[in-house]
Amino acid sequence: MTVSVDLDNRPSLSFYLSVGLVAGSIIALQIGIMRVFSVGSWAHFGSLVVSLAMFGFGLTSAVMCVGKGWFERHWEGSIKGALLAFGPLMVVCNLAAQQVPFNAIFLISDPMQKWRLLANFVLYFLPFLAGALYLGVVFLKAQKTFNRVYFADLVGSGLCGLSVLLAMYFFRPDDLIMAPLLLWLAGGVLWFVSTGDRRGIAAIVGVAVLSAVVHYAAPPLLGIPKLAVSDYKGVSYARKFPDAVRTYERASPFGYLEVYSSSYLHFAPGQSDNAAFNLPKMPANAYLGLYIDSEGPSGIIKNLPDDETAYFKYLPMYYPYLLEKDPNTFVVQFGGGISTAVALKSGSRHVTVAEGNPALLTAFREDKGLRDFTGDVLNNPKVTVIDYDGRLYVAGTKNRYDVIDLSLADSAGLSSPGGFSIVEKYSYTREAMSAYMRALTPGGILSVTLWNKEEPPKSVLKLYATMATAARDVAKDKGAGGIAGNFYVVSSYLSTATVLYKRDGFTPEEIELLNAHTKAMSFDAIYYPGIKIDDSERAQILQDYRDQFFFAGTPPDPTAPSATEPNDKPPPGAPGATEVKDGAPPVARVPATVLGRLAWHYLIDGGWQEKIADDYVFDTRILTNHQPYFAAYIKVKDLLKFTDRLETVQDEWGYLLLWATLGIATVFALTLVLFPVVFGWRTIFSRYPGKFGTMIYFLCLGLGYIIVEVGMISHFILALSNATVSASVLITGMLVFSGIGSFYSERFLDRSRSFMPKVFLAIFLILTLYAFTIDYALDWIGTLPYALRIVLCLALLFPPAFLMGFPMPTAMTTLGRLGKDHMFLWAWGINGCFSVIGAALVPIVATSFGLPAVVLVGAIAYLVALPAFFSVLMPLERGRPAAA
Amino acid sequence: MKRRTFVSSSAALAAAGFALPASAASIKPYSWDLNPPTDTRDNFIAWGKARGEDPVFLGQRWDRFQALVRNKDIWGPATIRAFLLTPREEFASVNPAIHKRAYEHNFLDIGYGVTMSGPHLQGRMTNVIDVKRGEKVLEIGTGSGVQSAYIANLTENAYTIEIIAPLAQRTRALYDKLIDKGYTEYKHIKTKNADGYYGWEEAGPFDKIIVTCGIDHVPPPLLQQLKTGGLMVIPVGPPGAQRVLKVSKTQGADGSITTSREDIYGGKIVPFVPFTKLDGDKIAGTHNR
Repeated sequence: MTVSVDLDNRPSLSFYLSVGLVAGSIIALQIGIMRVFSVGSWAHFGSLVVSLAMFGFGLTSAVMCVGKGWFERHWEGSIKGALLAFGPLMVVCNLAAQQVPFNAIFLISDPMQKWRLLANFVLYFLPFLAGALYLGVVFLKAQKTFNRVYFADLVGSGLCGLSVLLAMYFFRPDDLIMAPLLLWLAGGVLWFVSTGDRRGIAAIVGVAVLSAVVHYAAPPLLGIPKLAVSDYKGVSYARKFPDAVRTYERASPFGYLEVYSSSYLHFAPGQSDNAAFNLPKMPANAYLGLYIDSEGPSGIIKNLPDDETAYFKYLPMYYPYLLEKDPNTFVVQFGGGISTAVALKSGSRHVTVAEGNPALLTAFREDKGLRDFTGDVLNNPKVTVIDYDGRLYVAGTKNRYDVIDLSLADSAGLSSPGGFSIVEKYSYTREAMSAYMRALTPGGILSVTLWNKEEPPKSVLKLYATMATAARDVAKDKGAGGIAGNFYVVSSYLSTATVLYKRDGFTPEEIELLNAHTKAMSFDAIYYPGIKIDDSERAQILQDYRDQFFFAGTPPDPTAPSATEPNDKPPPGAPGATEVKDGAPPVARVPATVLGRLAWHYLIDGGWQEKIADDYVFDTRILTNHQPYFAAYIKVKDLLKFTDRLETVQDEWGYLLLWATLGIATVFALTLVLFPVVFGWRTIFSRYPGKFGTMIYFLCLGLGYIIVEVGMISHFILALSNATVSASVLITGMLVFSGIGSFYSERFLDRSRSFMPKVFLAIFLILTLYAFTIDYALDWIGTLPYALRIVLCLALLFPPAFLMGFPMPTAMTTLGRLGKDHMFLWAWGINGCFSVIGAALVPIVATSFGLPAVVLVGAIAYLVALPAFFSVLMPLERGRPAAA
Repeated sequence: MKRRTFVSSSAALAAAGFALPASAASIKPYSWDLNPPTDTRDNFIAWGKARGEDPVFLGQRWDRFQALVRNKDIWGPATIRAFLLTPREEFASVNPAIHKRAYEHNFLDIGYGVTMSGPHLQGRMTNVIDVKRGEKVLEIGTGSGVQSAYIANLTENAYTIEIIAPLAQRTRALYDKLIDKGYTEYKHIKTKNADGYYGWEEAGPFDKIIVTCGIDHVPPPLLQQLKTGGLMVIPVGPPGAQRVLKVSKTQGADGSITTSREDIYGGKIVPFVPFTKLDGDKIAGTHNR
């Protein structure tokens, strides 16, 4: 074969396009696999598998570094082989992985599950290995013009990332693998065009057709699933109901939305048990089940006739309407519409409702079935819809509301086997809460309801502390004194907790009314002005909660009652119950309830940190825009103590998996980075001066770039409201702008010694500035029309991303031009490996220290790279040839 | 049983591919007078063998029984008897992958997205509702069938509802097979494939109700079908990390009916899932140590 491409001089446009498309195909495959995991099993295991699969780059680099000569001799064959294998591997490995699904909930208890997880990892690793081999050989051959190839790589990755976002409208998650396959096909064809290899073109088209046929035809023929949805995902249960009918289905970047109808679906989140004796019957078939990415159900409520809405009174979100008559109401998140329905049926004169997920709004506005079922609620003249996040609207609007409701905003909150993912919950932060509080009319009430299904309690304690802190912020602004009169809190054990905040404080008459309702509902009063608290149990309860996990003695008898400590205290009102006198502490039956009361006591009167938070077994830090997580409850100092009792904290596995990913990634990365060192520190690398500094340099770039990119994704959700969109905008923006930077950096190659330090300093300064100020900008951007938001986010991104495109290609091209070929390959691998570590590090730094710390870590990495850059510039020692 | 015997018979059983228990010789039919010995392991195994059960599983049952008692998950003589008479291995046999793990403390996968809860949780739930002979007990969520199997040793009136039709059929067939085999106590169990949310009105009211499915509220029909003074237990949370909610229905002096919520640990905090370490056939402390 005659090779018409000269990679070191003027490669053709089709060559650059090929590099861009294949690199883009790799990104598309990452996103596709993440989607497959989100829908079929658990997103955070997808992150684990994808992160580790990226070690394909590290492994390729290590192998190529050691066998450089061979790859230089066989580069055409290597590229051709890698290209022809990449596409089919995507399809076949994905299908194969679906046949060995693993169940996260049995990961500890079933020895087989970890092998299944390993099989998933190995299978998804293979296509990345092929993709990495293609890029590695291309880079090796084009090292002297690396800036341009890298430009193609980055821009291609960025634009293809965006194209996958669009592809999500056309392909359902089980077919999304077609997106990377098409990109690969285009990239492959262009490669063979650039090399003038017609047989190659025919071969790759044939292989692509065959791969697509396998993807579409093999599952029905063999009776195997294209995408295995775990039996333990919410939608799997719905699909088993005998009368289940899927009434709506839509794939989009905002999630794979499905709606099921079945007489077996029942919702009444947090409903009082007393409804059983006071309601003649629950309305039948009142709900549809909404599932996003197979998770759920959230209840979509029917437009009930007035004589069937009595049960709303038994739901915790009814509380504010006991006091507010004819209110102007704001519902922070529409969800399945229960809060909106309660607001309308409880006499609101107008309801403004926000929903940040456009796919949900489209479904409710456009689908005839849903419109009929809900009485076309979103087009109700009494309802105004805000099509972005409620917290952003409230922060920006001059409108004031009598009732603001934030109730069980996310899914039905039933069990989440396999642990909760680490997800930003900006609607519940201190900043959001104080915005809601400020948007109330003078007599207005904020009502926040959260699931209270954890024992020991976790989320609710964070909510309590966050709301109390926000109330203090608001009180400070007003010059008001304490916050003791502003709160009324109730909970129902292992059900829900509701916090009411009244801007002007509750009157004694209102408290009396609320208490009567609480008693009628058999809910537990947790706090109200004037409640008396017995502090004597505090130390014991905190100790007991710790002992629940770290008990070291003979287990106490938990069940057999003793004379001195009867277990079954009669409920208040029953014969023999402790009489509740005026002002006396209500009888608490469970420690979680006592703990809730103690928490509020110290939150109101001071002493929360030292009396409760410091000694409590779980982390109770408040949610802020910097740490917006209902997650990471295990205190870092206790992490190792939990390793032999993982079953006890199954809902923390999402968080623990981050640490596991970091640990595994670090071991892998070091192994791969050191592999060439072990084989050639004294031989291959012996002639290269500054190798340690060079290693530090690329380590910093690998860490720094990905940390900034992933950290910014979390930040930008503030303005873009949606994780998928934020990720896509960030990936595209960062990579394309860095690609441009890479292209532009070529001009400064000859003066890199003097120019690059300025670039590093500029990156450091911009990132540091962003770390502390970007939230304010993003909060403002979030209130603008969506298209404008994206444009402004990209504008914000341009300065750092453009500059961050300089260091990598400048150093790589320098290595290439200095003839440090092995170093060139090794550097690429180090960069890749530490990217994986960086990505794993982000959520850990974010949950432990906050999002600004993440960006700051990235900034510091670039600062450290500054002096290390001079090692890269060191020329080979004279008289000692570099070639091994 | 000596450890060596235990291990070698385990190996023999493994070699037999675990096809044995379901097709083995008939079991001595049930009567309320059956009383498995609780003094020594050997006596218990000998007694169970005489009834026609497999000695390896009997040994495992004894070991788990010791762990349950030690962790105070069962304490009443009736519940202890029920545990010792219930062949968990038969109910785990629906999934070959978990068959030999029937007596582990873990919850196990039985298909359809349903787990068979661990013996500690089931033992505690059973003992807490303190079923008396003759009482009517309703279970929502038949699943593997093992929970109702315990109840069947406590009362003649066990009712169980399963929402997933193929699972309901499979477990019903299993009960029938076991009854034919001699486990006639399972004649006490009435099964139904339906939505348990609405309870079993024709058969109610019930003295005790056990719910084993996830829902965002306690179904009002079930509270209505629960007798005043009755108890209901409902596990909350994901498998393996469940707390069990105990709802009591009581009548006040003024005649009004109220409910109260606790958990089955009696309102006290205790070390969670008791992981008993088994070292061969010896209990070697707990994992909490």
